[in-house]
Amino acid sequence: MRYLLISIFFSLVGCASYTKKHGFKEVEIINKVIYNPYFSDASKDYVYKAKIEVYNKTFGGIFIVKKIAKGNHRVVFTTEMGSKIFDFSFHNDDFKVNYILDEINKKLLLNILEKDLRVLVREHENVLSKSIRENTILIETKIANKKYFYVFKDEQLNSVSRVKNGKEKVQFTFSKICDVTAKNIQILHHNIKLTINLKSIN
Amino acid sequence: MRNIVYLLFLMVVIVHSQEKMTTAEAILLKEKVKAQAAETKTITSDFVQYKHLDFLTNDIVTKGNLAFKIPNFVKWAYVDPFVYSVIFKDENLYINDEGQKSDVNLSSSKLFKQLNKLIVNSVKGDMFDEKEFEISYFKINNVSDVHFSPINKKIAKYIKAFHIKFNGEGDVVEIKMIEPSDDYTRIVFSNRVLNTSVSDAVFAH
Repeated sequence: MRYLLISIFFSLVGCASYTKKHGFKEVEIINKVIYNPYFSDASKDYVYKAKIEVYNKTFGGIFIVKKIAKGNHRVVFTTEMGSKIFDFSFHNDDFKVNYILDEINKKLLLNILEKDLRVLVREHENVLSKSIRENTILIETKIANKKYFYVFKDEQLNSVSRVKNGKEKVQFTFSKICDVTAKNIQILHHNIKLTINLKSIN
Repeated sequence: MRNIVYLLFLMVVIVHSQEKMTTAEAILLKEKVKAQAAETKTITSDFVQYKHLDFLTNDIVTKGNLAFKIPNFVKWAYVDPFVYSVIFKDENLYINDEGQKSDVNLSSSKLFKQLNKLIVNSVKGDMFDEKEFEISYFKINNVSDVHFSPINKKIAKYIKAFHIKFNGEGDVVEIKMIEPSDDYTRIVFSNRVLNTSVSDAVFAH
């Protein structure tokens, strides 16, 4: 019980410190839901050239996202020559592996990919708190029980950060926004040496 | 109603346009391709690659060029919409991803060595090994379409079939690699030139 109280205390302190540390001031929540538009158009095939740096090794491929229906996305990664490396389906809170190359079928890697890619394709999240600093809005939310902060600048989603105990663990950055498509996306892990860079090619 | 009849007629025509070859025709094609492959010292070609995933609205189109030189050097280079090349040389893959170079040694993986051998052989079209493939022969007008299904289960897990189209001279004009899920990669060659001079520098990393 004592440990539970201590951990609740630290998580509250951690949460407060993240927004305050960055100079944000909490304000009243008006819209209860936030929206990530970057993979929301079901008529569009989202195709990216990917570069993955993992523990000083770099490899590339083609990263493909398709919205199949509401709350339902398909995410596929292939080599440049077209061989499939993985093929996942996200349907609301469900996650299904349609295919994964035996050589990379490791539980730890699958967990990381599931967590990261779920954040990319999720469109709507409930707002838990809202803070403001000049033209930047910081929205706190939870995805699969993990705490995330969405950063909107001039009403455009610029980044998403997974935060634990007030520290940023993973940062998703969206840049070169053109017609609600993020032409460049970076997923940067701070606790492991993993960076995924995506560059739109269509 | 007239449209439905027309559509049915068209479907019948399409289905009928691909016929099975006779045994004699199949033997003739096999000999022609093998003779052509034996004489081929180099190949240069442009290609367009269509990656078909069933759930996508459009195939993903990438373009590039290919160079082959005996004994078994292949350079596969994409130029649009990104610059990327992979050289298959000895037991290594040499990758240049927009200027960033890396290499992969395949000597420890028998399976990847076999898969790469298949890619190199498919460039010449010489895959007529009945111990390795179940082979069926079709023809559409003047083009031969040969379907190679790997017998080895480990390979069949990655590639369900290669469909290779040959022109009247027995030269490869199209390769289709079909995955077990029926998604596929189709590569269409153009400006294919055989036995022109290709410098070793093309395959330098």
